[in-house]
Amino acid sequence: MTGVEEPLIRTEGLHYTYQAGTRKPAPALRGIDLAINAGEYVAVIGANGSGKSTLLRHFNALLLPTVGSVWVTTWNTRDLAHLRDIRSTVGMVFQVPDDQIVASTVEEDVAFGPENLGIPEEQLRQRVDWALATVSLSELRHRASRLLSAGQKQRLAIASALAMHPRCLVLDEATAMLDAAGKRCILETIHQLHQNGMTVVVATHEMAEAAQAQRVIVLSEGCIALQGSPHFVFAQEEILQALQLDVPHPTHLARTIATSVAAFPTDVLAVEELVNAAAMLLGPAPGGCR
Amino acid sequence: MSKVLEFELIGHVTIGQYLPTGSILHRLDPRAKLLMGLLLIGAVVVSHSLVGLTALLLAVLVGLVLACVPVPFALAGLRPMLPFLMLLALLQVFTIPQHAATATVLWRWSILTMTDRGLLAGILLIGRFSVMVLGLSLFSFSTTTTEFTHGLEHLLRPWQRFGLPAHELALIVNIAIHFLPILAEETERLMKAQASRGADFGRGQRNFIKRARKLLPLLVPLFLVSLQRAEHLIEAMEARCYVGGKGRTHLIHLQMQLSDYVALATALGLAAFAIQLSITHADQVLWHWIFMNR
Amino acid sequence: MIACTIPLIDVRGLAYTYLRGTPLETQALRSVDLHVYAGETVGIIGPTGSGKSTLLQHLNGLLKPQQGQVYVNGISLSDPHVDIRSIRQRIGLLFQNPEDQLFERYAGDDVAFGPRNLNLPADQVRERVRQVMEMVGLPFAYKDRLTAELSHGERRRLALAGVLALEPQVLVLDEPTAGLDPQGRRELLHILSQWRVKEGRAIVLASHNMEDIVELSTRVYVLVAGQIVLHGSLRDVFSHHDILTQNGLSVPIAMETMLMLRQRGYPVSINVLTAEEATREIKALLYV
Repeated sequence: MTGVEEPLIRTEGLHYTYQAGTRKPAPALRGIDLAINAGEYVAVIGANGSGKSTLLRHFNALLLPTVGSVWVTTWNTRDLAHLRDIRSTVGMVFQVPDDQIVASTVEEDVAFGPENLGIPEEQLRQRVDWALATVSLSELRHRASRLLSAGQKQRLAIASALAMHPRCLVLDEATAMLDAAGKRCILETIHQLHQNGMTVVVATHEMAEAAQAQRVIVLSEGCIALQGSPHFVFAQEEILQALQLDVPHPTHLARTIATSVAAFPTDVLAVEELVNAAAMLLGPAPGGCR
Repeated sequence: MSKVLEFELIGHVTIGQYLPTGSILHRLDPRAKLLMGLLLIGAVVVSHSLVGLTALLLAVLVGLVLACVPVPFALAGLRPMLPFLMLLALLQVFTIPQHAATATVLWRWSILTMTDRGLLAGILLIGRFSVMVLGLSLFSFSTTTTEFTHGLEHLLRPWQRFGLPAHELALIVNIAIHFLPILAEETERLMKAQASRGADFGRGQRNFIKRARKLLPLLVPLFLVSLQRAEHLIEAMEARCYVGGKGRTHLIHLQMQLSDYVALATALGLAAFAIQLSITHADQVLWHWIFMNR
Repeated sequence: MIACTIPLIDVRGLAYTYLRGTPLETQALRSVDLHVYAGETVGIIGPTGSGKSTLLQHLNGLLKPQQGQVYVNGISLSDPHVDIRSIRQRIGLLFQNPEDQLFERYAGDDVAFGPRNLNLPADQVRERVRQVMEMVGLPFAYKDRLTAELSHGERRRLALAGVLALEPQVLVLDEPTAGLDPQGRRELLHILSQWRVKEGRAIVLASHNMEDIVELSTRVYVLVAGQIVLHGSLRDVFSHHDILTQNGLSVPIAMETMLMLRQRGYPVSINVLTAEEATREIKALLYV
């Protein structure tokens, strides 16, 4: 690495208004300046209507700014000539599992993206194999895509995005329609991808998910209200509540305990952290350590 | 019985259902099966011969057996159509224009006349429908939707150079097949939500217009939901750089084997046999035998 | 013990198979027993595909039992002469994502759909609409707004109002807080607990969200693969945390914390559901 690296995704003065120029314009983003660096894991949270989905759709040029600009590496998203490059660099997974499936079998759905790029056929198979293996769906490659469970469909959606060999994966509330087991599975997959160098951006309603990111961006009415590490953001409980959000459950629990127990640490985000912090305070367990 | 099935829209329709039995028929190339299906439909429509139709019916039944499909289950697929079919057949029997002197009158009651031609027409009608329904069911039992759209696309691909959007057409069929059960489910959910608030979707009400009007509140949310889902799908496809059929490569390629050619040849022979036999010697012999030996 | 009261809903040996008799049949419920008494909130938890929705749809007669019985106020739903519409007035069912099912152009009309189906006179309909909109926190003036213009959370509350307008005895809800932001969730749970306070009412709540179940329920049933594997009071059910985790279900954070502390050798009670109880345990350890 030499010198200062360009951020992978950058926005400058980003404004977006739905139905701009009609009788009922609806401003969704009002001036967003942010930069996402290669290898980062960023979570975007905000109440319904705060602009999360709108923001994410600017990262792969599904939406173009009404005012301002968005860059993916060196390409401006308004530049039609580089649309393919942009969309192969930033892959996207959406909320509704059924509404992302294009082909009737698993392997064909994964192949859809690279097929569109005209990838030569020997490489097609390799990409499909690799993508399926990464999300552990290789055994189901010949299964009818609509017969998968919701969790499997989302893994399929991730594989289909991965087959384009993106540098960044954007997930718009991808776990919202899954049960606890499904959510855990997707989060593990995302975590694994991030460990292997993928840049990840997630929009979510689940504070516990956001707590796993490296940086949390809080949106409110189209603006960035708060930004920083999860520890920093979730320490601002009052601000978050005013923004119609909340802190992760373990954090909330820690705070409740802290109102009655002096010096109980409140700076925790996950159950393990909470238990570790409690153990420190309580001293060694009677009957020796295990 | 109908109370239990008040909301099960999918019910017992056999066309469109797939039965994974792994038979020989399942393993044939979908292009061969598509062409065989077309030949069957063509033969059924064109043939005027009782012997020919019987041959086609037997062929379809043999096909069902080869596909390891329980024949009673396949025949049950004819049940929903039976009342309609009987009505149409009766109309044919009694209203077919009398082919003058050559027609022998079999039965008369005031203005209703049944001739042997009329009877034949009625039987042929039932025969045609039955063969078509059973044939289409056989096709869907032994062919997954994937195979179907692949077969379709591969058949249409050579015409792409003449401007036919083969990939787009196959994609449309694919998406329609994917979303039909989803939309059926959404409709069912909407009906149930409205029924939960007291809506009555027709417990045998006489007034057809009234019943139709009760379905109106379903249309708006169904339409909106469909549009919403279509938008999601568009986004997903654009995110994966879909710009139409041009310049795409393909993961799957179909290969015709000897068994496919053999099956196709058999079907061709059968269709030719059925078509060529109009009111031929064989039929006349059969007819005389039935009605002269009463 | 509530032995002297007749349950509002009584389900016995309920079994249901979709597409029965075809090669594609799937058994959704296998012999389920369930009771709901006035004044309770009954929670139903279970992984996806466990049959929760199928079970809920039997409670207001959308599905007829293939085996077993469902009684509402002592009336059997298998009886061919049952007045199903009166059952559906007494048992109000709110589906998942109910805001997708709104169909009237104006918000007020959608809420009025239920009362109008009951053939109530126009002034009564209007009064009911006003009452329920107030109950869910929507200004009566919204009745003249276009349904499409309301926010997501407002539309969900409108859908709830539409069901409350029937003045049901039992409210049956399928994942009522799914997809709501934290504020929306808090408001909805508040509305539900306020509603149930009135005499003779009960709530049946199917949810993935353990915190919702803990906040509202008095009794819980755990449904896995069409069978009830656990049932009892809230505390009883969650004390079997091993059975829950085996089936892919989670326990409340407070309990999870205590379980982990216990694993490390701390003598805490694991019979803990809320943050307050967890606090009490930790305090007990510190200031012993």
